[in-house]
Amino acid sequence: MMKQRDYFRLEIDDRGVATLLFNTPRKRINVLSFAALEELEGHLKHIAETPEIKVLIIESAKEGIFIAGVDIHEIERFEDETQIREHLAHGQAIFNTLAALPCVTIAVINGACLGGGLELAMACDYRIVSNDNDARLGLPEVTLGIIPGLGGTQRLPYLVGYAKAIELITASKRLKGDKALKLGLVDASVPSGYLGFKRDAFVEEVLSNKRAKAPTEQREGIKWYEKLPPVRKLIATLAKREIIKKTGGHYPAPLKAVEVIERTLPLGLKEGLEVELDAFVPLSVSEISKNLIGLFFTSEKLKKEHFAKAKPRDIKCVTVVGVGTMGSGIAWILSYKDIAVRLKARSMESIAKAYAKMMKNYEAIKRRGRLIPREIGLKMDRITYTTGTEGLAKADMAIEAVSENAKVKQSVFAELEANMSPDAIIATNTSSLSITALTKETRHPERFVGMHFFNPVPKMPLIEVIASEKTSDETVATVMALAKRLGKTPIKVGESPGFLVNRILLPYLNEAARLFEEGASVVQIDHVLEQFGMPMGPFTLADEVGIDIGKEVSGILEEAYGERMPKAQIIEQLVTKGWLGKKSHKGFYLHQGKNKSPNPELASFQSESKEIAEQEIIARTMLIMINEASRCLEEGVVKNAAYLDMAMVLGTGFPAFRGGLLRYAESLGIGNVVERLKALEAVHGIRFAPSDLLMKMAQKDKRFY
Amino acid sequence: MSRKSKKTERIAIVTGLRTPMAKAGGKFVRLQADQLGAILVRELMMRSPVAYEEIDEVILGNVAQPIHAANIARVIALRAGFPQATPALTVHRNCASGMESITTAASRIHAGEGSIYLCGGVESMSNIPLVYSEKMTSLFTKLSRSKSALDKLRTLLGFRPAYLKPIVGLMSGLTDPVSGLLMGSTAEVLAQDFGISREAQDRFALESHRKAAAAKESGRFAKESMAVVYDDHEGRYLDYDDGIREDLSMEQLARLKPFFDRKNGTVTAGNSSQITDAAAAVVLMGESEAKARGLEPLGYLCDFAYAGLDPRRMGLGPVFSTHALFEKTGLSMKDIEIIEINEAFAAQVIACEKAFGSKTFAKTHFGQSKAVGAIDPEILNVNGGAVALGHPVGMTGTRLVITVLHELRQRGLQRGLASLCIGGGQGASLLLEVQ
Repeated sequence: MMKQRDYFRLEIDDRGVATLLFNTPRKRINVLSFAALEELEGHLKHIAETPEIKVLIIESAKEGIFIAGVDIHEIERFEDETQIREHLAHGQAIFNTLAALPCVTIAVINGACLGGGLELAMACDYRIVSNDNDARLGLPEVTLGIIPGLGGTQRLPYLVGYAKAIELITASKRLKGDKALKLGLVDASVPSGYLGFKRDAFVEEVLSNKRAKAPTEQREGIKWYEKLPPVRKLIATLAKREIIKKTGGHYPAPLKAVEVIERTLPLGLKEGLEVELDAFVPLSVSEISKNLIGLFFTSEKLKKEHFAKAKPRDIKCVTVVGVGTMGSGIAWILSYKDIAVRLKARSMESIAKAYAKMMKNYEAIKRRGRLIPREIGLKMDRITYTTGTEGLAKADMAIEAVSENAKVKQSVFAELEANMSPDAIIATNTSSLSITALTKETRHPERFVGMHFFNPVPKMPLIEVIASEKTSDETVATVMALAKRLGKTPIKVGESPGFLVNRILLPYLNEAARLFEEGASVVQIDHVLEQFGMPMGPFTLADEVGIDIGKEVSGILEEAYGERMPKAQIIEQLVTKGWLGKKSHKGFYLHQGKNKSPNPELASFQSESKEIAEQEIIARTMLIMINEASRCLEEGVVKNAAYLDMAMVLGTGFPAFRGGLLRYAESLGIGNVVERLKALEAVHGIRFAPSDLLMKMAQKDKRFY
Repeated sequence: MSRKSKKTERIAIVTGLRTPMAKAGGKFVRLQADQLGAILVRELMMRSPVAYEEIDEVILGNVAQPIHAANIARVIALRAGFPQATPALTVHRNCASGMESITTAASRIHAGEGSIYLCGGVESMSNIPLVYSEKMTSLFTKLSRSKSALDKLRTLLGFRPAYLKPIVGLMSGLTDPVSGLLMGSTAEVLAQDFGISREAQDRFALESHRKAAAAKESGRFAKESMAVVYDDHEGRYLDYDDGIREDLSMEQLARLKPFFDRKNGTVTAGNSSQITDAAAAVVLMGESEAKARGLEPLGYLCDFAYAGLDPRRMGLGPVFSTHALFEKTGLSMKDIEIIEINEAFAAQVIACEKAFGSKTFAKTHFGQSKAVGAIDPEILNVNGGAVALGHPVGMTGTRLVITVLHELRQRGLQRGLASLCIGGGQGASLLLEVQ
């Protein structure tokens, strides 16, 4: 007996073993779209009505993927709350049908099993999983501003316990097979090559009556003490406190998840599912969820974006010139991703120091249990070094990360060109210099490109890729591919001074400095913008980066953009005093180890001390960024608004729940933005003059998205 | 037995490199032999004009093979970035292991089995383990076989504290199992045979340090050696040979107690080679292959010979193997412009010098009336030797080859000899040329 439809193939053998094979047509992965769910429902009804079936196996035909989740495009399109409710309730009912089948059900999880996929697996009696790296189980819904809506908040506690379920859902944990087994989420975890044997063994056990139905709600994952009301409350309170600490309270979904799990613990599955549904619906139509999903789609789009038509070249060995903070960070990430690295520096002292820095990164990873010393040793093995020119010819590529000085960079380029093969790619990590100007004197300008990493390299996910007028497509394609191999998100940006992110961010820092000069306190401004959602306030950031670096970059930008970006006085004054921020223990704050306190001597740089309204602080710092961002878009510095928003989120930590800078602008209303810019221009001058693009958009009532 | 060589192609030593020589228990103590080897081989490959894929096999010498890295050559090859498809072989001829790797490859090239090889030697004498005594080992075995708790207890009661006295791997390794003599004791035998005084040995040692210090100062060693980051947590590196003592004096040497024969002996830690960690390697190919590639090799291996002798007098090995080499090639000492005899012990090199120049010795051992060939002291170990630099046993052979070639180039000379004595009673001699 065999039924052939679109998503699932059902086979039933003469022992009464039914196999549902999920194989989404023309897709690399399986997702649970409504169409797939409805088809599943048909199969389940048929199975329920076929008493010969003793076992149902649910498997995936996709390599490394069981089910990646529900179709997020469908969630994104949700607008009408009743419609969502209907759809979701239907989905819940289908999983209830699965759970209530008279036969024993087994999910055979061969790869990623996320969101709706795990919710489906949890509606089965048993789950067996391969313990390979790509088999990860989790409910990551809160990263999209929603909560699990197909029974995830209900069935997970039965398997792993109440506190653990809260932890897994609110932190969007993705578990490997062995860990999932330890927590009780699955019933077996085996190497992928043995998954078939394990499945057959389970089937045999069922057929010989050694293994019976084991409905999830009868599992005993919830500890007895977790059911005591005060314990239950305490766990929830602590979890919420932790979430608020981490997210500043800007993300409602994880808090809602805790609330739902807490409230429903004493309830039955049926009532619990109702509560889950009630909580899911408003979240799924919220602006925050739309923003997060929007960013998710942009990141998916960027994964497929090449920015160049040429085929990328294979990079096996990269020379990193300069081993300061940036150079050693770049070298580290290359070795971490198993690419051979050749350090080139002026002295062995600096090379040895770079080793210590790289080892620190590995030590941090070791502490998290992600690598063992043997694996770290093998990665460190890939690093070699020279203070001369030996071995440069063996590298396919070089990344220059010496000081931000055109002359120094040009002499490095000359040395690299003299010693590397003529087609080797040479990238510069400049944060503000023009690639075209830097490479004017080179013999092969087509192989030069900007590859701007952000500090600290191990953590910051963005790389700006900058082509000069002469950079070849192959060079761009190669750098894009390398950046992706490093696990980063590369975005191609135009050659304008400051490129994209620094060009937008600098006016913000300058404006914050000006607010300070006008009398607001450093602490107040930082606090207001942190409340807004920035990961750290502008002065904390300036101290981290180094005020001298800030001065250097703002100097370059002032020169390029003139009165639109005048450098704030205070920056110059602090540098003159030698107060460079964290590295000199004194800047806008006093730094002692990890602690910082306001710098009491700052007051002398203010004409007066006064409170400036929170709204004004936000308006001035944000609107000046929005204005500059619109110019970048207008000049084609970045391909589209979505990429710009992503660059700001990844490069500056602009709050993701706001969807990015331009999405935030849209939430204010473009007309409103223009009006307020004009008002600010009247008081503070030309730097707030709205861009042509914004004016046109306001006139024609156009949007960025 | 004399062997006349067939006319075979010279072997081009395309490029070579070594790590600094670090006193054992010192800077490289945390670098296991496989890691030290990997650092060196990877750097050599970065500098080599040959790509990984072109190399047919990796052959490395190593004497005290670490228990965690059996066939250490394979471990080093993989850690140094060689493709998994490249085979690797570890060779062992005691102190000549670093030469054996080179001559094994040469023979393979001559036999047409391959064309390009990476060869060398590595030793971490810091990491030669202590071993449990046989009694302790058998106690452990019994314990693991005891089933019940009572059984286990019974077994444990058989324990005696003396079982814990470890066997020092380094000392066992340096003891000749046939004669039962420590290597240093074989040097004592030679000192007695040839009447070599304590003072003569100390003077030789002082001279070795002086020459090595001069070579270090002039930057000669920097040409053949790389800097090694040995502590990646603290960020420390070594870029010189740290056994060389610029400030050493005869008085200081005289103060040392004889180590091997405490009562009457003359051999001390000061006039013996040092215990050291280091690695060295070269890339080899046939001369025609090098020509076809338009390479300018560091030099050539023209011929080589190994010979056996009385294990109690193993220090004279170079005399026997060089005699064999001369027989094979028809050359004589006059044709040699630079000589390296590894300084296992000052007494042993002095004994070699005397034996090389002695007609009686030649008559007794080779049945010939004229001496094997007196050595001009001006061309012997011109940059010092193992007394100052150290003797990481598996590595030294390769170092000598690299040193001779660099020195020939430096002086604009053509032909040199690298030789060493081998624990167990053997000698090795390699004939090297530059042009």
